[in-house]
Amino acid sequence: MGLNLSQILHQLEQMGAALAEHEAALRRLQPAATKALEHAAILPPEELAARVARAGDRYRGARPSDEPIRQRFPPPGLEAGLVIAGADGSQIYPDRHAPALYYVIQVGSLTIELGSGRAPQTRTLPEIHFRPEDLYDEDGHPVNNAVINGRRDALEMKALADWAESAAGRPFLALLDNGLLLWFALQVREQQQKEVDRVLKAYLGHLDGLRTRGGAVAGFIDRPRSADVLALAHLATLPPEAINDAALRANPFRALTDRMVFEQLLEPGERSACFIDTSPLNRDFETRGHQVRFFYLKTDARGTIARVEVPAWVADDAAALGRVHAGILEQCRATGGFPYALVRAHELAVVTNEDRQQLETYIQQRMLEHNLAPRTSQKATTKRWTRGRRKHRV
Amino acid sequence: MDPDDRPIGRVTRCSTRGFVGAVRLPEPEWPVFGTFCRAEAQQGQSQVIGLVYDLSIEDDELARQLAASEALSPEQLADSQVNRQVPVEYHALAVGYLNGDVFTQSLPPQPPLTLAPVYRLTAPQVRLFTDRLDFLPLLVAVPEIPVDDLLAAALKTAAAVRPESERRGYLVRAAAECARLLGRDLTRLESLVRAIKP
Repeated sequence: MGLNLSQILHQLEQMGAALAEHEAALRRLQPAATKALEHAAILPPEELAARVARAGDRYRGARPSDEPIRQRFPPPGLEAGLVIAGADGSQIYPDRHAPALYYVIQVGSLTIELGSGRAPQTRTLPEIHFRPEDLYDEDGHPVNNAVINGRRDALEMKALADWAESAAGRPFLALLDNGLLLWFALQVREQQQKEVDRVLKAYLGHLDGLRTRGGAVAGFIDRPRSADVLALAHLATLPPEAINDAALRANPFRALTDRMVFEQLLEPGERSACFIDTSPLNRDFETRGHQVRFFYLKTDARGTIARVEVPAWVADDAAALGRVHAGILEQCRATGGFPYALVRAHELAVVTNEDRQQLETYIQQRMLEHNLAPRTSQKATTKRWTRGRRKHRV
Repeated sequence: MDPDDRPIGRVTRCSTRGFVGAVRLPEPEWPVFGTFCRAEAQQGQSQVIGLVYDLSIEDDELARQLAASEALSPEQLADSQVNRQVPVEYHALAVGYLNGDVFTQSLPPQPPLTLAPVYRLTAPQVRLFTDRLDFLPLLVAVPEIPVDDLLAAALKTAAAVRPESERRGYLVRAAAECARLLGRDLTRLESLVRAIKP
């Protein structure tokens, strides 16, 4: 039985009306948010910095960088001979109902030499993990899906660092289809500290490699939902003596996103100022010289806003930051505001349900060759029985 | 792996008259019009011999987006034409079957199974299969496909796998067989003979 649409039609009508109402409420909030940002922009930078410092660890928002927070930056020129690489990954998580316990990570990546007229070079690197040390932590607990995501992210960064090596001596830009901060670390740090440290070390090591080879790197987040800059705008409205937990929580712009504000403020091709992410995870990155900063970019004429994350060594280098800005815009021209290199990296990485079924058939064959009886769980078997949709006609 | 050992797709639809194969391969590896191929049938007891007569490229949303874009770069164009695994569908007409080592030139007893892998016939297999010309009547009788072009392509493929010294003799023998089959339609026969003339 599929989704019984007829039973939720009434709720869908309510949903449509509620979405329209919510959108209208957000639009009403927007002028006040823009005004708060204007206010933050006219505060002396040291005063704004003092408020951020006073808010301390309680504050979850953006910190200004050296760039004026209301400044808009037009698209810079594209460097001749720029090489752009993109990477993305996909995975099959461990399934206790499958014939054997394993997981798969596949990273797809490519490199495009702009102006060469040549087809990009592409790579698809799959890895299957089936050994106990891959599947269980030191306490014998099954590996968490978040850890697999972290390992995948590290392999994506490795793919980009490898392309940087082969493009040595030429201007190089690496794009990742995600933010640069490894969020899995926050999710599982308490339970799996050693694994988090291991993955972080590998990931930051690949970032080191990119930096050493003179490449610029950026994480591209499409349709961002963050409201870090709005949190900063709210903080700027608070008198220093009134900054406390309750005042920080009473952010009237909480329902809005930065994207909604920058949709109004930026012209196509323009970027916002760079801001600093205040996540506790960013301290680890900062310690290793990769403090993460971000800006918003209007990637096309339809008004698509992306959040672009870069390490401080890119943000502080005008040429490298310009390369990120111009390179992303160039890549978005034919694909409606999302970089072509990432569209193709995803296509190279994706593992379909059909691939998974084929892989399991091969696993079962290999098990049979070793006199093992491959069995899926009864639950998985019964799900397969009922998977084909069947409708009786009268 | 020898290129001939690599499947050129899998069967998606089939009947005793032929089958449809689908594949995602880079362009140089697609089968071409007039390719002889085989697909497993009767649980591996036989192989249906097919002759590829129609190739089509399935819809692809990225290709459509790029085609509509005014900002397509030469690198993106080359990527689509060289790297991307385009989903290709091809129709193959059943012209015989292989049972053990014996080729039979008539419709197969059963069609191949859905998702059976499809392989190109190797050059020696094409030569062996086309030694006899009894598959030609199966082709001539098929409505709604470009029969004459397919006949010409099949005979040229068959001639090409023979030593240089045998090609002309083979094509003359084939032309004689076509004359017998198309004797009542001299216009068609003339254009076919012109098409296969060495």
